[in-house]
Parts: sequence; C-alpha cells; structure tokens
Amino acid sequence: MTLNQQIAAATKLSEADLAGYVISATKEVFETMVMLTLEDSYPLKEPVTSFHCSVTGMVGLAGTYTGILSIHCPRTLALLITSNMLGMDVEEVGEDVNDALGEIANMLGGYVKQILSKGGLDINLSIPTVISGEDYTVSSMADSDCVVIPFITENERFLVGLKLEKEG
Amino acid sequence: MANILIVDDSSTMRKIISRSLRQAGLPVDEIYEAGDGIEGLSVMEGKSIQLILSDINMPNMDGLEFIKSVRAKGVSTPIVMITTEGGEDILKEAISSGASDSIKKPFTPEQLQEKLGGML
Repeated sequence: MTLNQQIAAATKLSEADLAGYVISATKEVFETMVMLTLEDSYPLKEPVTSFHCSVTGMVGLAGTYTGILSIHCPRTLALLITSNMLGMDVEEVGEDVNDALGEIANMLGGYVKQILSKGGLDINLSIPTVISGEDYTVSSMADSDCVVIPFITENERFLVGLKLEKEG
Repeated sequence: MANILIVDDSSTMRKIISRSLRQAGLPVDEIYEAGDGIEGLSVMEGKSIQLILSDINMPNMDGLEFIKSVRAKGVSTPIVMITTEGGEDILKEAISSGASDSIKKPFTPEQLQEKLGGML
C-alpha cells in the first residue's frame, strides 16, 4: 500500500506528507464536527477490501487528478458519529447515518482537493456515496496505490483511504 | 432578530449549522432549510430573509448557480458560502457571482460568530 509514484512526482508530496495531511484533516473534522478525539496509526501495509457490519462513505475526485476518498466505520461507531453530529440519539443505520458519513467524506475530500489544486477549478468533487451492510467489498481499496490510515476513537477502529491517479 | 436560509444537500450539515448559529449567540429568529439551489429559490419566495448560507457542491443546482439566480432576481440579501471548497479560484468565482464571504467546513460556532456577527 503506497502512494502512486506518478502522484508523488506530480505533487512533490511524499507518501508521509500526504498521509500527514489526511491525518490532520480527519482529526480536525472529528474534533470540530463530531466532538471525538482520534488517535492515528501508521498507514496499513496490506489492503483491506472486505467490511463486516460497517458503513462506508466515499467521495470521488475528477479532473487533473482522479481518485476516491473513503471512510469505513463499524456500524456502532457510525451510529455514535451520527448521534454526535446531530445532537440526538441515532439507533439505526439509515438516512441520517448515510448523510453524516457522506458529509464527513465530503469534508475530507475537500481537504484533499485543496492540497492538489490551489485554485480549485481543475478538480471536481462528486456528491458523496454511502454504502452499508453485513458483508461487502470495496474494490478501489484493493489497489496497491492507495493510502489507508487507521484511527481509533472510543475503543473502535475506523479507516480513511485515499486512492489517487494523475490524468494525462 | 434575523431570518436565515441554509442551503445544503446534507441534512446533517444543515442541523449543525443551525445549532452552531444559536450556540454562537447570533440574533437568529426563523431558520429555513433547503437541500439544493432550486429548493432554496422556492423556499425564499414570499419570505423576509436577512442572510443566506449556502454550500457550493450540491446536486440539481449548485451554490454558484444559486447565487447567480438569486442576484438575477434583484435580491441583495448577503450570501455566505459554507463549503468544503477552499480553492482560490472557486471562491473568487463565488464572490464575483455575488457572494459576500465564505466559511470553510469544518467550522466552529466561534468562526460563525466572527464571520457573520457583523452581518446580523
């Protein structure tokens, strides 16, 4: 699991730099909007593609760079995140959880976009997509050109993944 | 006391903005919500609104088109973009389309107070 070499050359960012930005952005989003403090770990060496009882929020980047920013949470943590964001107890995965995880992916995607594009007009962010279920696979996470960072909060682990490619 | 319209496709974000406005101690009366620019234009009809807070990246009608449509109607209500979009060119385009200012997500109630306090 490493940063695409084309990306490293084009952005002049090392994998550690990019991981550092993602860690910093994730911590800021969680501390400001979710009221949770995070501990981060070293980026994963092996891909994680299968998820069990989880919720995944994703946002796509398209333009001079293409890619996917994704957040993968156990269902119980997704419920806590949504409850904190809404200021009320949420006990079932549904529209509220999908919206909350999508918005977190959107904010993280915004950070990545800003790192890659100072002006902001050459990269577009997609509307977030959220999936959840008992068992599912996310194929974009199978690629070795993907940085995946584990975080821990409230004794639960979640992942933030970033897959990037340079167009042209 | 001001009536405020929040235009954002995320219902979670609309709730966070709404709660943060009150936490910031801003003089807020009614808060109206819309999920995209088209709904925003519809919600505005016949209402007295003193401030509009709008996202940029939304389906159906995005924030930039929404500002242009509001200004095309001759409405001069201040519009502040609350968005994940921090790019200089996008924000310049928003300002040239008629936005008054922008706030980057994520934000704190204190940042809302700082940016919006003088407008209300």
